[in-house]
Amino acid sequence: MKRKASRAPAEKGRGKRVQNKENTKRAILRAALELFAEQGFYRTTTKAISRKARIAEGTLFNYFQTKEDLALYFFEQELDEVIQWYERDRRIQRAALAEKLFAIIHRFLERLTPYEEFIGAVYLRALAPTSKLSPWSLQTQERNIRYLRFIRGILAEAEVSGELPPVGDFGAYAFGLFHLAIVTHWLRDRSRGKEQTLALLDRCLKLGAHVLKKGGWDW
Amino acid sequence: MGSYMGYQVQNLLLGEGERAQRQVRFRQRASRRVREELGVLKGPAMKLGQMLSMQTETLPEEALQELATLQMQAPGMHASLARAQFKSSLGKYPEQMFRKFDPEPFAAASLGQVHRAVTLKGEKVAVKIQYPAIRSAIENDFKLLKSATLPTQLTGHVPAALIEEIRRGILEETDYLREADNLEFFRKGLSGLEYMVIPRVYRELSTDRVLTISYIEGESLGDFLKRKPSGAMRDLLGTRILEMYRTQIYRLNALHADHHPGNYLFQSDGHIGLVDFGCVKRMSFNLSELDGCHCRRSWRESEAAARHFLALAYGPRAPYSRARKMLPMMERMSDAFYPQSASADIVIDYRDPKSYAKFREISRQHQKLVLQNKLINPEFAFLIRANIGLGHLLHELGATVNISEVRRRVPAAPLIGHYE
Repeated sequence: MKRKASRAPAEKGRGKRVQNKENTKRAILRAALELFAEQGFYRTTTKAISRKARIAEGTLFNYFQTKEDLALYFFEQELDEVIQWYERDRRIQRAALAEKLFAIIHRFLERLTPYEEFIGAVYLRALAPTSKLSPWSLQTQERNIRYLRFIRGILAEAEVSGELPPVGDFGAYAFGLFHLAIVTHWLRDRSRGKEQTLALLDRCLKLGAHVLKKGGWDW
Repeated sequence: MGSYMGYQVQNLLLGEGERAQRQVRFRQRASRRVREELGVLKGPAMKLGQMLSMQTETLPEEALQELATLQMQAPGMHASLARAQFKSSLGKYPEQMFRKFDPEPFAAASLGQVHRAVTLKGEKVAVKIQYPAIRSAIENDFKLLKSATLPTQLTGHVPAALIEEIRRGILEETDYLREADNLEFFRKGLSGLEYMVIPRVYRELSTDRVLTISYIEGESLGDFLKRKPSGAMRDLLGTRILEMYRTQIYRLNALHADHHPGNYLFQSDGHIGLVDFGCVKRMSFNLSELDGCHCRRSWRESEAAARHFLALAYGPRAPYSRARKMLPMMERMSDAFYPQSASADIVIDYRDPKSYAKFREISRQHQKLVLQNKLINPEFAFLIRANIGLGHLLHELGATVNISEVRRRVPAAPLIGHYE
């Protein structure tokens, strides 16, 4: 009893520290994103970010050593947001598979829209095999697995309902690559309102769902 | 269409009586087939096929009528895509700009779909949303079509100008702001016809890819006919549609060229709603003048008059030597459409194809000769399609119309200009 009572405040204190740390991290990200949207990614200095987040510039480096770290954190937050949105949205959960997948990628893209330059910059860096942002880096594995599990869940439901033949984990991996390809297209899309990406996304998903359902090309 | 040729061969082997029966059955089947097959293409190729078959009138009547009403369709959009496309065009989501927005479309439109909505002020509207990036897709298709139709362009049977005219018409359909202009133009121009209901444009809720217009009550032709309207009502509606059509071409010098039955909304009190002004032809020539020439048989007056008339009918670039060959045909057309000894009114019962067979046969022969002499006038491409589409609509409606009476009500404007 005694030990238990004495441990509780310590636990509480640590929880609070973790919470504070998380809050600071979010404040920094928010400040950085605002500045990226206002001034552009390349022109934003760490000094400006720390000033906006109301922390010392040195503290900033305790949390994020590079802009890549910032991007990593950003993508984690985005994934959380999209998963939460999906779990809240009853209508989309009842929609056909092609629409569900469309809405998920579109939700990501839409959230990236204000930070296009930032995403474009980190995307280029992610191509380097040694980059932390590379989809094969150690740092992205936790997020990747969470993403794959999320998509795998949606595909599994479609398998149960007969919308999709069994595609297994492979389906989720393939969709992940498709997602990356769409983001690349989106970054290069100069059409008004990026409508080319909307059309491409829609057609690919409808075609993909159709082909998978039929079990191959219907020549 | 391979089966159409097969039928022609088979026809030679059959007796006369059986032939007529078979013909009716076959034509109904063929028209459905043609429609289905062209319908699958759903894009510029379909439209081009449609317009070319209208020009040449080589298909049976039923098939032509079916074809005239084909619309270019875009793939359907699910709610998420419609929403995304709305935002991509207007910058905000529909639920931010409307009090209510139905995520499920209630109608397919050319190149997009239509959703019901209620504005923030509480007005009922229809919101037409275009499938994303359809314009560039159509432009690409036309590049292909241009080279595919090159042989016929070289022989002069299908002039490049005709393909260009069709391209222009289709690309214009992709610009909803132009459609908004058309709507306002016709709303004003047809305001004298109290029975016409033409929607109002909500400019602040429209872009080139999203068009918001007031919601028009009314039933589709099919639903309207299910309630078995009286013959008098059908005749009244038919007469009104023709009067409205003549007002367009003779007063406004512009034409709502898409007579798809779905574009008409019938109200029980005889009001007619007209929607979808994407395909509008603004005529660069004066149809009244052409009418006047027909009435007077102006080509008989002098060579200059004949040259002038033929330039009106076949375009200024048609060589006189070839166009002249059409004059005997013109005599016959004038005798049919503009009889000089007008003893009785021309009354057409559109339910009975026989009652207008004479007119159709003459224009068919005319078009055949036009094709032979390479005299296709692209300016008439949309007019011809509209005429055939209108005939189909009146046939479906089952109206009897006194054409002469409508002509008296909307006469061709007095002749303008002089021969040089």
